[in-house]
Amino acid sequence: MNQTMYPKKKDPKKKDQEKNSDRIQWLRDYYFLGNKRKWNNEYTVWSTGTPWDLQYHEFTYYIVPETYLMFDVMRGGYSQAARNIPVEPDFWDKSIAERRALFVKEVMVNHLPQEILAGDLVAGGRFNILTSMCLDEKEQAAYNGKILGKKGVRAKVKWFHDHGYGNTGATCGHLIPGHERALKLGWKGIAREIAAQLESLEETQKSGPRGAQLRAMITASLMAGELAAKYSQLCKRLWETQVNPVRKKELDQMAQILSRVPWEPAQTFWEAVQALWINHMLVMSDENYPGPGVSLGRIDQYLLPYWERSKAAGMDRKFAKEILKCFWVHCNTAYDATIRCGNQGITAGFGQLITLSGMGPGGLDLTNELTYMILEVIDEMSPILEPKPNVRLHRNAPDKLYDICVDMISRADGAPFLLNFDERSMAGMAGQGQRGGVSDLINDTNVHEYAPVGCLENTMQGNDRSGTVDNNLNLLKAVELVLTRGKDLKPYVDPMTAKAEKILQVGPDTGDPTAFSSFEDFMEAFKVQTAFIVKKCADLYELSESLRNTYFATPYLSCLVKGCMEQARDVTQGGAQISFTTLEAVTYATTVDSLLAIQYLVFDEKTCSLAELTKALKNDWQGYEVLQAKARNRAPKYGQDDDDADILARQVMRIFCDETWKHKTVSTERQFRPGMLSWNYWAADGHVMAASADGRKRGQFLSNAICPSNGADIKGPTANSNSVGKVLGGKTGAITGNFKEFINDLPNGASHTITFNPSILKDSGHKEKFKAFLKGYNENGGTALQINMLDLAVLVDAQKNPKEYRHLLVRITGYNAYFTSIGKELQDEVIKRISHGQF
Amino acid sequence: MGSVLTGIREGQPVMKAQDDPKGRVLEIQRMSTEDGPGLRTTVFLKGCPLRCRWCHNPESISLVPQLVWNKEGCIGCHICVDTCSESALSAGPGEIVIDREKCRGCGQCARECPTLSMALLGESWGARDLVDELSKDQAYFLTSGGGITLSGGEATLQYPFTHALLKGLQARKIHTALDTCGLCSFEVLDKLLPQTNLLLFDIKEMDDKRHEAFTGVSNGKILKNLTQLPDRLNQTQTDLWIRTPIIPDATDQEDNILKIGEFIATRLKGRVARWELCAFNNLGKEKYARLGEDWAYKNTLLMERKKMEAMYHVARGSGVDENIVFWSGSVRS
Repeated sequence: MNQTMYPKKKDPKKKDQEKNSDRIQWLRDYYFLGNKRKWNNEYTVWSTGTPWDLQYHEFTYYIVPETYLMFDVMRGGYSQAARNIPVEPDFWDKSIAERRALFVKEVMVNHLPQEILAGDLVAGGRFNILTSMCLDEKEQAAYNGKILGKKGVRAKVKWFHDHGYGNTGATCGHLIPGHERALKLGWKGIAREIAAQLESLEETQKSGPRGAQLRAMITASLMAGELAAKYSQLCKRLWETQVNPVRKKELDQMAQILSRVPWEPAQTFWEAVQALWINHMLVMSDENYPGPGVSLGRIDQYLLPYWERSKAAGMDRKFAKEILKCFWVHCNTAYDATIRCGNQGITAGFGQLITLSGMGPGGLDLTNELTYMILEVIDEMSPILEPKPNVRLHRNAPDKLYDICVDMISRADGAPFLLNFDERSMAGMAGQGQRGGVSDLINDTNVHEYAPVGCLENTMQGNDRSGTVDNNLNLLKAVELVLTRGKDLKPYVDPMTAKAEKILQVGPDTGDPTAFSSFEDFMEAFKVQTAFIVKKCADLYELSESLRNTYFATPYLSCLVKGCMEQARDVTQGGAQISFTTLEAVTYATTVDSLLAIQYLVFDEKTCSLAELTKALKNDWQGYEVLQAKARNRAPKYGQDDDDADILARQVMRIFCDETWKHKTVSTERQFRPGMLSWNYWAADGHVMAASADGRKRGQFLSNAICPSNGADIKGPTANSNSVGKVLGGKTGAITGNFKEFINDLPNGASHTITFNPSILKDSGHKEKFKAFLKGYNENGGTALQINMLDLAVLVDAQKNPKEYRHLLVRITGYNAYFTSIGKELQDEVIKRISHGQF
Repeated sequence: MGSVLTGIREGQPVMKAQDDPKGRVLEIQRMSTEDGPGLRTTVFLKGCPLRCRWCHNPESISLVPQLVWNKEGCIGCHICVDTCSESALSAGPGEIVIDREKCRGCGQCARECPTLSMALLGESWGARDLVDELSKDQAYFLTSGGGITLSGGEATLQYPFTHALLKGLQARKIHTALDTCGLCSFEVLDKLLPQTNLLLFDIKEMDDKRHEAFTGVSNGKILKNLTQLPDRLNQTQTDLWIRTPIIPDATDQEDNILKIGEFIATRLKGRVARWELCAFNNLGKEKYARLGEDWAYKNTLLMERKKMEAMYHVARGSGVDENIVFWSGSVRS
């Protein structure tokens, strides 16, 4: 075996920058000036001016536990900073959706400054706004009444998190708006359709909530066109004073483009990219949140006709890339929202995901010229974070695409992208069509049109909101509740007062576990407790879901999601044709390994009694070091391609999935579907959850998404991947030549990270082998893979000299984060993960 | 070294078919990228008839299971010491001392060790179970053109087991490679070849005296086996790769490389698909320490890149088809 060869330390800042034009170089450098920039896109706050007015809708942040203690500060602080905008006298007679549509449009078109950066080819600068919730006094009081106080939603959400269950809340983004349709029809076409829909209503409906919703959407549908007209005028003004003839011509072209799109259908590539940017950025304005998984879908597919048309008309490939690069810079200004707080790294919940390549009908590969152009853009703009790419691979993906991906991956500080695997993913989505009763909308004939949002959460495009980060449940809690007969193992201690809460009977009493005669008894109890925690999560989700349903409409976004107009229901009210919410299991491997350890130590080897094990966990393993070592080292583990262990893992998967499918939201009738994603919870909740039977002490990290537990991945990447594929369901055994050979119980998909040492890609021969690994992963692995390519020496040095490595990227659960910004603890973790010593 | 070779000496009846022969496996390494084409699972079998001074896998030399203690994971519970019925273990300050005279290699302490710090190297596997285990990465073998490599130690030393493995793998259409030092009866090699897609054959040193000084044995038998191979390889359609370890102040002589090249060019004409020069590897240091053995190369540095490149150019100019020459391994700059 070869010893690892580390490439020499290099400064990521200097990478490949000569490839960019002066224009792009300047924009990119300007962006990286951060809060030293004169211009930025930080939040501005806008109020209706009423004394009760509120802008910060906290339920969006219920899935970000770090923010819980800040809610009052945020509410008050933002209100304090708000500028008032007078509203028309009849404003308060309208529905909440209409008010918001009017107010957001007023802010974007008439109050927020319009600016164009030097040399920029895409207009649309500021978009980060916090706007009034537009509630009247009574509504605001009712909303506050539901949120605040000891019995309010906020307290319940905090309780859920503090007690180790996880978190849940109706949050925004995480969908793919119907961009293809908006480019084709223009807002003119969309507005007409909504108007016609309104006309078709009966008079009583018109004056009711359905009419109000459609009127709100008509107002919202005018926003993009009006804003573009403003930018067109700005371009004309800049044209007048511009002396450089080249730039002067560009500004003239931009003025013309903006006078047409996005109101009219796009004709050229430049028009399409310009329209796409405004359409996309206004979703973030509408939701008052900077790009939380507001994803763009299959951009290389729906932009292709425009590129082909412009190319035929003589557009230069280089200039087309130049336009795309401007779009790229704009996406990154989402991060400016709270720029004065500094770099937020992983806790910045952005993820404007684009999808590249992938399958078409009948397994046909859809990689095209634009796919490669966009990959070049990503490479040349690296290490810029947004938009995040996810490349869809499948059996017929071309070798050239694999080569480019592998080359990009081989650059340790670049290649910020994820890979999605079509066959496994499509099997899951088609399964959702069946099990979720939407087989008319997701089926064999169209499932190839799926695309991931956020990181890797699979959805359909333009008609689907599946709440992919709304529910994050620690499955491990169910194991704890079996051991304790439905109570917390350890009391919650308030970090401010150091006061310990009394332990209460919260879950069902599944009987004295020390009297269980077999491990099967334990699993039966685990099933009951899992049913309990899943229901508890669904019930709690309902509280924020119904708040959003009643008090927070996004009529602009609703125009871009099929189903909302047809049902005259806002997307926040479950208006999307495919309207699911996803329960993401966190701590999967820790749960499985804990069960395996209980089986091994108590029932098989009889090393200790269950009472003794529970006592050890209560004592955080202190005084039980030998038992802990056995749990850690001798008990079987998931992730090693050990069939016996993986069978139990599969059992846990099925229990989780079956329980998840039992629930629907009440207010919006959204069906729950299962997935596995852990964002950063697996790290943070390690401090919240008590010690676990797999040998983990409190404070140590839990397992991440569908990955094996830390340190369990000792048989290498192929074994790791095989385990992942097996627990998703493996294969059907039938040879059909398509995705129907695959089983996948997680329609959402599962986040899977494998960290490789860079030496796996040290030369062309090894790159070929790595390509083969990816092709094998397509057969045996999961739905999505992110590859971490880490270099220990560089990371250690970066930890010591953070200033020199400001741009060094690492990936954590689908998130590309600047290594220097993630804090020492996560840094240590990343360093620890330089595993796979065989490379 | 006699006892190590029991049953495998030349002329001994080792061909007797066994239903499910058992073997001693040191390690199974998945997704190996260095032991043949594609992605491979490499099986390191225990036992070797050579005693190469530079061997970086000392735990693979003896056919007998060996006890090792890894300091890193040990929590100092001393269960191993209490468990040992031979009193072969004692607790020193911050360490466990193994009395190798007393240790019978029963493995009881390793079975009891909660941290796996005490380990008995040389797991016993039945051929059938091992074929099942080795088939797990078949998807990756198919996408990469990879398969299984039987290495060691010296895989031919556990002949009936090796044969059963290769046969079982062949039945599953898995590409097989056999990595050998070449010291075995030709009869054994002859029986293994029909099940072997690729033979990785070592030529370390052409000068017989130096060979004996470096490895403890003459190279006569090895080279004789090699010269008998070409015709047989044609019949069995087995590819042949030659591997030469480049060891500082030993095999790294220009003259040696030229002579090996000449041998390949004349005696194995047209039969060798790849000749790989493998740079000295110093990973063995810790392993020797754990086995309580000294290592002549413990202070030897990795090869210099320049030196490896020079060796590579010598090899390319030695009369062989220069396209078959490769070098691999870690080097220092």
